Order: sequence, then C-alpha cells, then structure tokens
Amino acid sequence: MTHDELRELTGAYALGALSDAERHALEAHLPTCGDCAREVRELAAVAGGLAFAVPQVDPPAALRDRVLSAAVAPESARVQPIRSATGAPPVRASLLPSWLAAAAALAAVAIGLYAMTLRERVGRLEEQLREANARAEGVERQLNVAQSSADRARQIASVLDAPDVRAIDLAGQKGAPSANGRAFWSLSRGLVFTAANLPAPPAGRQYQLWVIPKDSKPVSAGMLDFNDGRTVALVDPSTASRGGSVAVTLEPAGGVPQPTSDPILVGSLSL
Amino acid sequence: MPAAHTATLDDDRATVSRMAGGDSSALAALYDRHARAIYSLALRILADAAEAEDVVQDVFTQAWRQATRYDAARAPVAGWLMIMTRARSLDRLRRRRARIATTGMDPATPHPKDSDVDQETLAITTEQVEQLRGALEVLSDAQRTAIELAYYEGLSQSDIAARLQQPLGTVKTRIRTGLLKLRDALAGRGQP
Repeated sequence: MTHDELRELTGAYALGALSDAERHALEAHLPTCGDCAREVRELAAVAGGLAFAVPQVDPPAALRDRVLSAAVAPESARVQPIRSATGAPPVRASLLPSWLAAAAALAAVAIGLYAMTLRERVGRLEEQLREANARAEGVERQLNVAQSSADRARQIASVLDAPDVRAIDLAGQKGAPSANGRAFWSLSRGLVFTAANLPAPPAGRQYQLWVIPKDSKPVSAGMLDFNDGRTVALVDPSTASRGGSVAVTLEPAGGVPQPTSDPILVGSLSL
Repeated sequence: MPAAHTATLDDDRATVSRMAGGDSSALAALYDRHARAIYSLALRILADAAEAEDVVQDVFTQAWRQATRYDAARAPVAGWLMIMTRARSLDRLRRRRARIATTGMDPATPHPKDSDVDQETLAITTEQVEQLRGALEVLSDAQRTAIELAYYEGLSQSDIAARLQQPLGTVKTRIRTGLLKLRDALAGRGQP
C-alpha cells in the first residue's frame, strides 16, 4: 500500500473498522511515519469521545442493587495484577516519543482486549455447552417417548401376530348403543383393545377397561386414553391370560378397584 | 472547568484503588458516577433496555474483578469503563446478528478489532463532549452515518460499504474526512 492509501485508513483504524490485513499494514507503518501516528492519536481521541456523544438516559433505579451485588458476588473472582507476572513496568506515555506512546498504548489496549475477548469466548462456550446439554436432555426425553412408543407398537404387533390370537367384537350396551369395539386377544401374548364412537366421558369420569375371568371378579386392565371417541389399549399377558370377557365401564377419574356401573361395551372370548 | 475535571479524575483513580483493595463501597461510588454514561452508550448500541442493563452489570463486574489491573498511566477511569462498555455491547450485538443470520458468523470477514481505540485519548473533557455533539450535527449525513455505523454498530469499512451500497473508497473517505472535521471542531475551541 502507498502512503496515501495507508493515510486513508487512519479514521477507520480509530473506529476499529479495518479488516485484519489493513490494520496490520497500518500498524506496521505507524512507527515509521510521525504524521500518520499523530493523526491516528488525534482521531482516536475523537472516536473515544463518541462514547459520550449519545443521548444520556438514566438507568432504572433497581439496577444499582442488582449490579452491585452481582459484581462483588464470590464467584466474581478477582484477577491478580498482570504486571508482576510479566515483570514489565507500566508504560508511561508521557516519557515516550509520540508515535511510540501511541503504539504502546494501542498495544496495551490490544492485550487487554485480547484477554477480554478470550474471557468472552470462554463465556460463550460455556453458554453453548449449557444449551447443548439442555438440547441433549430434550433429545433424551424424546428418545424415551419414542422408545416407549416403539415398545408399545412392538407389543401390539406381537399380540396381533400371535398364533393364538382371536378377534372379538364388542357390542355397545345401553349407555352407548352406537359404540363398538374389538379385542385381539392372545392368551399367551396379551390383548389389544380398540374402540370407536365412544361418547365423551363427563367431567371427572374416565373409561376403565376390565378383564373378567370366568367365575372370578373383574380385574382392572387400566384406564382408557380417550381420543376423539377412539381408544387403543394394550393389556399385559398376565391379565389377558386369564381369559373370560372384556368390558368397559364409565368410572370416577383415576379408576376404581371394582366396576361400579354397568358395562358400556362387552365381549367374551369363546374358547 | 479544568480543576473540577482533574478532581474527578483523581477521585476516580482513588476509587478504583480502593476497589482493588476489596472495598465494595468504592464500587458503589464508581457506579453512581458512571452508570448513566455506561447505560446510555449500551442502550445506543443495543437499542434494548434489558440488554443494556446486562452490559452495565458486565462492566461493573469486570471493573471489580480487574481493579487490581487498572493502570492510571494508560487511561482515565471513564475511558477504561467506556471501552469495556463498547466492547461488551458490540459483542452482544454481534452475537445477536450471528443468531439471526442463518449461516452464523462468517469467518471470511472477521470482525474488526476493538483494539484500535486509544484509551489515553478518552481524557477529553465534558466541555469537549458537548462540542463533539455539536460537531456531529455539522457533518454531512453521509459522513455521520458512516462514522456511527462503525462506532455504534461495530461494522467494518467493507460492511458499511455493503450496507450503504456505496463504493468502499467513498466510505473510507467519508469516515476519515468526517473524523478530521470532528477533530477540527474540537481543536477550534482552545485546543493547541
């Protein structure tokens, strides 16, 4: 770059608006050119003043306590003076030739800002790590949900695929004559129950599924998820293996140990 | 008022050395003196009150942590604080831009370093700040816009040229000419 081209960069240098390549070129030039160095100093002074040349706004009063307590919090660790570590005495600008003073001051600022940038980067990485961990937990939760859906689908498939599976139609009873259901019942692998056209349960009530073995009391096979009149339930083999009939009743939400109402759907496994 | 100005500088230095000694009441004194200027600059850069408040907290936290490192020979306290304020604010602005941009940070166009600002120069007086505000008004809109995009938005010359859809050479000239005009406006009143 020619001298005039470098001279053209002083303003942007003072504002921190140069590319790295331009900045390096100008910084290499400054120690050799008193005019440019002086101009950089003067324009940097002007640029620094821009910090104060903004509309002045009072911060909210509550900010004071928040800032003061956060700043001195124990985790806000103090740093040790950097001078003792390097052994270099502080640069006294007034004792140096002007271009060297400018260069020294800029170097000092550069070191300080480099450290600041590093701390900022560490802070940013920590933030990213926290975000990544949060995302990983989210993914794990989704994976668990997906896993249990997959398990359930596999169990349903295994019931439907069982050599001893029987399909039983369930007829809607008095409470819901248009409801219909079907049970795929394998004594060895379990029971898949589906129903449609079930009326929406009143508030505080839920449908409960029962397996009623011959000559024995009904065994609860769980509460039915009610989804737009339709439901699918999977009954585990230990309950399903007892055979008999399958029935749905309307019960208080959360279920009851024994049915308290007449069945809405009922069907029997005829062996 | 040079006497009062000097008194404030001395006061600030004493305050920071008390902070270095672990005196948290000194931090409160520093806050009362400079929080308004810090908040105002952060607000100008970020245009977001909550983020500006976070910057104020960051700056005072950093000032407390680094009080032992503060070197009065290099910069007045106000300049030290304002450099931290601009760096923290621009960093948040760049992170915000990176979040918005689909490709994130473009490594091909590195952000300009903030190291170019000379701390010692921030010893300008309140009076000079008033002059500077006045002088900003006499710049052409094009010059003022280019300088403001560089200082308050942290854009490089080429970013500014792209933003304004102007040739790079034009932007360079506007920035330098504008700053020289500001310098002359300041020098015009009693500055050697």
